[in-house]
Amino acid sequence: MKEQFPARMLRIHFGENDRWHGKPLHEAILAKCMEFGIPEAIVFRGIEGYGSGTRIRHASHWPLAKDAPVQLSVIGTEEQIGKLIPCLDTMVEEGLVATSAVEVIRYSRDAGKAPE
Amino acid sequence: MLNAGKAIKVSIYLSDGATRHGVPVYSAILDYLFYRGVAGATVTKGVAGFGADHHMHSANMVEISDRLPIKIEFIETREKVDAILGKLEELAGTGLIEMQETTVVKPAQVSKPKQLVPPAHLKIEGKAQMMRIYVSEEDRWKDKPLYEALVAAMRANDIAGVTVYRGILGYGAHRRMHKDKPLSTAHHGSVMLSAIDTEEKLRAFLPLVDQMVAEGLVVFSDVDIIKYAYRALEVEAQS
Repeated sequence: MKEQFPARMLRIHFGENDRWHGKPLHEAILAKCMEFGIPEAIVFRGIEGYGSGTRIRHASHWPLAKDAPVQLSVIGTEEQIGKLIPCLDTMVEEGLVATSAVEVIRYSRDAGKAPE
Repeated sequence: MLNAGKAIKVSIYLSDGATRHGVPVYSAILDYLFYRGVAGATVTKGVAGFGADHHMHSANMVEISDRLPIKIEFIETREKVDAILGKLEELAGTGLIEMQETTVVKPAQVSKPKQLVPPAHLKIEGKAQMMRIYVSEEDRWKDKPLYEALVAAMRANDIAGVTVYRGILGYGAHRRMHKDKPLSTAHHGSVMLSAIDTEEKLRAFLPLVDQMVAEGLVVFSDVDIIKYAYRALEVEAQS
């Protein structure tokens, strides 16, 4: 099934070490996205970067020693993103949020089923 | 510089093992042709052959043959060939030299020298679109990963550039959480392809995306491109 609609894309930049209530921040935000029914969210790990605080973040070759920059990219309707932003205000201590208007084409296999 | 029209093709047949003053004969001949300004020459190595001595020479895995046949071929004007033929005969030693009339249909073009110092501030700016495609890393198209097939398809369709990003965590259309586990080589996650080109080209590519992507998300956004065209300049100078 193919649907086409205008949407909003939101990108959040922060560090992989950042936590929220003991959980990695990106996992916490992703759980929130799911809660709001946002159709697509993905977290990318950068190999190097810097953000507020101008501390350079490196990705380590040792996968358990993490302080890489991460980018969370979320695509949803204006309304869903509008609901997400107030949550981010409380969750993201140090980071950057950028949004842009986009046009989306969504392909899905289960044509009959409504999104959960 | 060779022009289109009548010319002479010279072929020289040698043995790989033949040397002259310690260097292989073919290399001595090639050097001679090069410094005499011959338009171009090609040396090919045969896999098997025999010559005047009627010894069969072949490439054999067991005995490493160093006496394989070698053929040097070049095309030049009659005047030039006449001028260098005497020396070639001497260089070829026991080898055979043959020449025939030929017609140059399209002469090779000299590549123009590359611009060594590109203008420092040459940039191309303009409006373009960014197309991001979100799929799962396990998705396959025919016999290869979908993201690889998409990159190959974009390349074949002259899309200016595409980069594939692997997500460490994410979910998509099927609402299954993908998580990258540290210390595991197998990766089952979300990937994003990001391509930038003009709106027309990306829209023209979209039917292929329709065919290839069964499940996923395609996101279009307007972008301003600023392109530093260093490499583009070198390519233009060559053509």
